[in-house]
Amino acid sequence: MPASVAQGVVQGVDLLAIAPPLWLALAAIAILIADPFLRRRRPLDYASLASVLVGLGFVVALAVGQDRRTFCVPPGLARGGPAPCSYVVDDFTLLFQGLVLLAAVVVLLMATPEVHASRLPPGEFHFLLLASVTGALTLAASRDLISLVVSLEVVSLPVFALTALRRYDGRASEAGLKMFLVSVVSTAVMLFGISLVYGVTGAVHLERIALVLADAAVPQTIEATVGPARPLVGAVGIMLVLAGFGFKVAAVPFHFWAPDTYQGAPLPVAAFLSVVSKAAGFAGLVLVLVVGFWPYGGAWGPLLAVIAAVTMSLGNLVALRQRHAVRLLAWSSIAQSGYMLAPLGAALTVAGGGAGGDAGAAPVLRDAAVFLDAAGATVAYVAIYAAMNLGAFAVVAAVARHRPRNNLEDYRGLARTNPLLGVALAFFLACLAGLPPGLAGLFAKIVVFRAAVSGSLSWLAIVMAINTAIGLYYYLAWAGLAFAGRRERDEVWRPVGVEDTPVPPTVGIAIGVAAAATIVISVAPELVLHVTPLAVAATG
Amino acid sequence: MDGYFGSYLVVALLAGLGVAVVGGAFTAGRLLRAQRPTPEKLITYECGVDPVGEGWAQSYVRYYVFAYLYVVFAVDAVFLFPWATVFAAPGYGAVTLVEMFVFLGIIAVGLLYAWKKGVLTWV
Repeated sequence: MPASVAQGVVQGVDLLAIAPPLWLALAAIAILIADPFLRRRRPLDYASLASVLVGLGFVVALAVGQDRRTFCVPPGLARGGPAPCSYVVDDFTLLFQGLVLLAAVVVLLMATPEVHASRLPPGEFHFLLLASVTGALTLAASRDLISLVVSLEVVSLPVFALTALRRYDGRASEAGLKMFLVSVVSTAVMLFGISLVYGVTGAVHLERIALVLADAAVPQTIEATVGPARPLVGAVGIMLVLAGFGFKVAAVPFHFWAPDTYQGAPLPVAAFLSVVSKAAGFAGLVLVLVVGFWPYGGAWGPLLAVIAAVTMSLGNLVALRQRHAVRLLAWSSIAQSGYMLAPLGAALTVAGGGAGGDAGAAPVLRDAAVFLDAAGATVAYVAIYAAMNLGAFAVVAAVARHRPRNNLEDYRGLARTNPLLGVALAFFLACLAGLPPGLAGLFAKIVVFRAAVSGSLSWLAIVMAINTAIGLYYYLAWAGLAFAGRRERDEVWRPVGVEDTPVPPTVGIAIGVAAAATIVISVAPELVLHVTPLAVAATG
Repeated sequence: MDGYFGSYLVVALLAGLGVAVVGGAFTAGRLLRAQRPTPEKLITYECGVDPVGEGWAQSYVRYYVFAYLYVVFAVDAVFLFPWATVFAAPGYGAVTLVEMFVFLGIIAVGLLYAWKKGVLTWV
């Protein structure tokens, strides 16, 4: 081996850049090892919470400094152009990492009483949760397909076990198994898609894939072997990758695992699934589409618009019929996925004036700037949704302690016996519906609507308007129940909070954190708006 | 037969040929053979010995733990072999050595966990 090549073999790693996931991975291992040696389990709860807070500190420290990149291709092998990197810390990364860690704090606070009440093994619970958080942190920073898939799997694998951790409960095992099977299939589909994309581009780094897809730098070998079939194979590969992410974010027609899994899982895990897991899926989707696959926006844009419309319609219509609180939240979170997909689906028509159409005839795009606003809208919606939805789950967790059946009817009169809890529930539900008390939900809806309307995709905007009205009905009906009084036919009426133990302080703090986050975003929406991963790719 | 998709045609043809050969052999056998079943002929074939007991048999579920532990070390070895061939080459040096021990340390954590949880004692 020549010395010059050997010099570049051992790469320096920017340890500060990877500090948040590295720290959490070490913390997860430490907690797993500490568990069997400890006699008392309570310290594990604190250690887990503290390690997430320290991770949050690292993210804040990184946010103060400038962008960082590491695990780059050595300049000698860059084939001309800038050397692409696998791990990039920019505003997009930091926003998602901060979001994931804050969500993890809320989930851990919710979990503290749950772990003991449901007799979950605490060491394993915290290890699995932190491992999944680690995956979500790396995912937001990944800028090549291999890192993306590996981190997506690191997010998913621990969650199967977390879902099925109540081993005495058949429903939990079913939920875990169902999610495992669906997720494995979706990963397989996605990997096949990735192999096709690699076949037509010869690259795994998203920036370089974009260059090749835009016909800017097609490698000789690929032109010689794949030749004219390149656009078709590339489009098929992209569709398969989309399908894989569709499972992760529970978009129709890949949504059917979500309600059963949410219902069977312990409540904090369901909250984790609907927020962290979904946010990770969207981070990956935005990265892949906006940094990597944007030249084929004409192919995936219209498809995404249709998926978005179907997802929000089906999610909302089925949510109308739900009587179980967690199932309602599950279907509503499917509907919310539709709203999050809408800007990406509408993006192309903003600039091209309807350049999309059928996939085959769509021209290859030349500029990624089209997707800047759309990506920003999706990211903002994900962040706002995370805060609101976590809050709703935290209230449900507080009520579920006394009402294991957890039907909507169990919330009747909640605001009379426990005003804080009732008002919090009404606040989060109103935000999810997109109503003013907290402006966050309203902002999210406006951002998405603007993306759809300015994209002259009026049919999508109309579908969204109808869906918002449907959403209003079931969110407000639930919120209204909390303030309702006794029904005439009820002989005995005992709303939650009468003769019950008070809400555990950690769950109270969890609700408070979620409410604070929602209010902060309401006051300063600029924190989450206009954050896109495109700082570099736009110049390419 | 040329071009990108043309090369897949060969695969499809070969697969079709394989199905045809096996299917053809079985169909020919069915058409040609004499059919005189007796109860003895209809019992499950088990190397010429009469089968004993049910098809459902229990095996020790605790073996799966050992299978897991084996997989941990098998994966370990998969990474160790290529490393062992290059770590002494110029340009690698101490960093590479330390990196592998970090990896081995993480594997060892798994073993430590298994031991402390009482997995390694035979009941």
